[in-house]
Amino acid sequence: MTFKSALEIDCGLRFMYDMLDIISPCGRKMLLESEMMTTKREIDFHYRRLNEIYDKDCTRIAHKLMCLKDIHTTLARLENGTVLDDIELFEVKYLAIISSEVRTLLQEQKIVAVGLPVLEKVVEILDPDRTNIPTFYVYDSYSDELRQVRKQIKAIQGNGEELPDEKRAELAVLLQKNADLEYEIRERLSGELKEFAGNLGVALRNLSFLDILIAKAAQMKKFGLCFPVVVEEGETFYNGMFNPQVKDTLLGLGKEYMPVDISFEREPVTIIGANMGGKTVVLKCLALNQLLAQFGFGVAAHDCCVSLVDEVLMCIGDEQSIVKGISSFAAEILAIDAVIKKIRDGRCILALVDEPARTTNPVEGTALVEGLLEVISDVKGGFVLTTHYNIANSAVKRYRVKGLREGKMDYTLEVTHSGDVPHEAVAIAESLGIDPEWIECTKRNLNN
Amino acid sequence: MPFINEILKYDSLSIVGLEKNVGKTECLNYILYRLPLHRKKVAVTSIGIDGENKDQVTSTKKPEIFLREGMYFSTAETHYRERRLVSELVDITNERSSLGRIVTAKVSVGGKALISGPSSGVSLRRWVAGVQKFGIDLTIIDGAISRLSSASPAISKAMVLSTGAAFSSNINTLVQKTKFVVEMIGLPKLDDVTRDALCDIESGVWGVDFEDNIIDFKLTSALALSSLKSDITVGMRLIFTVGALTDKLLNMVADSKNVRNVTLVVKDFTKIFVTEQCYRVFCARGGKIKVLQKSKLIAVCVNPTAPNGYVLDSDILCEKLQDALGLPVYDIVKNNYDI
Repeated sequence: MTFKSALEIDCGLRFMYDMLDIISPCGRKMLLESEMMTTKREIDFHYRRLNEIYDKDCTRIAHKLMCLKDIHTTLARLENGTVLDDIELFEVKYLAIISSEVRTLLQEQKIVAVGLPVLEKVVEILDPDRTNIPTFYVYDSYSDELRQVRKQIKAIQGNGEELPDEKRAELAVLLQKNADLEYEIRERLSGELKEFAGNLGVALRNLSFLDILIAKAAQMKKFGLCFPVVVEEGETFYNGMFNPQVKDTLLGLGKEYMPVDISFEREPVTIIGANMGGKTVVLKCLALNQLLAQFGFGVAAHDCCVSLVDEVLMCIGDEQSIVKGISSFAAEILAIDAVIKKIRDGRCILALVDEPARTTNPVEGTALVEGLLEVISDVKGGFVLTTHYNIANSAVKRYRVKGLREGKMDYTLEVTHSGDVPHEAVAIAESLGIDPEWIECTKRNLNN
Repeated sequence: MPFINEILKYDSLSIVGLEKNVGKTECLNYILYRLPLHRKKVAVTSIGIDGENKDQVTSTKKPEIFLREGMYFSTAETHYRERRLVSELVDITNERSSLGRIVTAKVSVGGKALISGPSSGVSLRRWVAGVQKFGIDLTIIDGAISRLSSASPAISKAMVLSTGAAFSSNINTLVQKTKFVVEMIGLPKLDDVTRDALCDIESGVWGVDFEDNIIDFKLTSALALSSLKSDITVGMRLIFTVGALTDKLLNMVADSKNVRNVTLVVKDFTKIFVTEQCYRVFCARGGKIKVLQKSKLIAVCVNPTAPNGYVLDSDILCEKLQDALGLPVYDIVKNNYDI
């Protein structure tokens, strides 16, 4: 799964991406095209590099990266032996200069997370006058003949006065000569630069990667994210897990976010609790954090251990499709069925299902959920569902949202052994200030 | 050497034509030829394409733009590759046009080039700000056909206007039409306690009452006037429209009883899209228009030749325009300044 396709999962990853200050367009492109990491080795390596950047002040490097342009097509042309034009040679020179400057800064800061090739020779080729400024043209100093031709052009051209016909013809010949000479020189330069195409490509990729690392480190500090411990197999746990987007919104309103603790391994997990108790937010956080960890971001928790999976699947249950002609129930059941198939195939997935079978009658709904939990008693990765039904299965780990305490919602998750769901729906509906007669009738019916 | 010294007093200039083939490029060349480059660093670009040797619409011969040594210019990369001069590439900007990225270069050996710069007001503003890093003293923007937006004071402080037989082949109509545009450019600047506050508003139609309270009429623009149920001029001394000023709003104010007590305010003259007839009625009833920002109109240039071959008498045209406008008027081609 690429990062771009992971953005489709409705878990708040889009928010994290929008809040990521990647400066260069090529950095952004590289991140979007990056594949989800699935081995501990590569993830640990990635976090080691991120950790190094995290501790350093990279403002000056970030400033240099602002000028980074995506020139991979130019580099491909260079490698294929095409004669580059002025603009392309300018791009190459510019990249080589930025890369050299960033290389110096990395050395000063003793950063080894990203290595940049030596490109001084490229700058040398494209800067015959040793000006060391990022501009380019086919310099006079490349050829005496060119210098002479240009002198002659200048003499005829003057300040742009109207020219007699014979002078005009002479000028045309000279301009052509100039163009031919420039081409010859560009041909020579392109030939000399060809051997550096590979290294220039490495520089472009590593600078883009450096940009991503700097942005990730800054995001970690901004949102208070943690470095996860990553395991290939075993328990996943989060202490003080939060949703950065919700937390951010609440902070803006002067409210506090209540982080939660949760852990799971191979047995399925159910979360029960009152409406508005944050069950869906927990599911989204789990999906988000799994993706953040496997794409090498800081994770939204105080500390955590993440067991790696091959895929993250979310069934939020609003996949109703009028176009496909299926109801919300049918869409949901088919989506869950796909999850079961993947688990049966032995794939390592994290599946998160929000209130399965909620759109049908509670008797059959309960039976469907119980049946589901029996079918998938052992999952490689993890299986978490939320429900309002009383589930009798004993082979599941149960969490319960603490719920209303003295009129205030306590979002904390606690492990419980009974399947009894809380009866707080009426109290919550009442707290929303709805029609009092409705509440009264409801209460009367409950008491009967 | 007419009006060059006047231009040097400003840091930004736009050259706009009231129609195609009114001699805008000649006017630009005239200016470029005379600028003292040893004293001033100059950057040139165009809104749209300019400098092609043949008109794309009427197929008439067009003058090309000649760039002198030391000038900076910005053009699309396609046109940069076709340049007939030697220049040093100094920047590839993030602006894009349909002809590719816009690049900026410094001329090493003078010559001709096609110039096609950023195509919107916002990107032009970014361009003006962007070239400042090269220490530019004067930015020159060549405007597009019948588009005045590049002359907005938000982009350039001074302007040169081109008009000519292509705009109208009847001297009297030409003088009258040009005079109206010049009159709009010359509208007085608003001098009011609420001016700064009005400058910060980004959209809608607003009013200022006699206690200096700024009131939002909750209109998205002056085009949404039909949704109004009452006369907005009641109790107001200023009516400010951020977007376009249209005949509809103008007529509404003209028809109101308060027309004498209220002043219409627009951002600058490029936002005025009213017909002369409506404007005259408005003025006759005592209406006033003021602007928040004003451009300095330095000169008017004329081209007495129309692309259909019709030629007006240059001397009479210049004289009549000069009398009507109270501004210096030049026929660059006839008085042949060696271009």
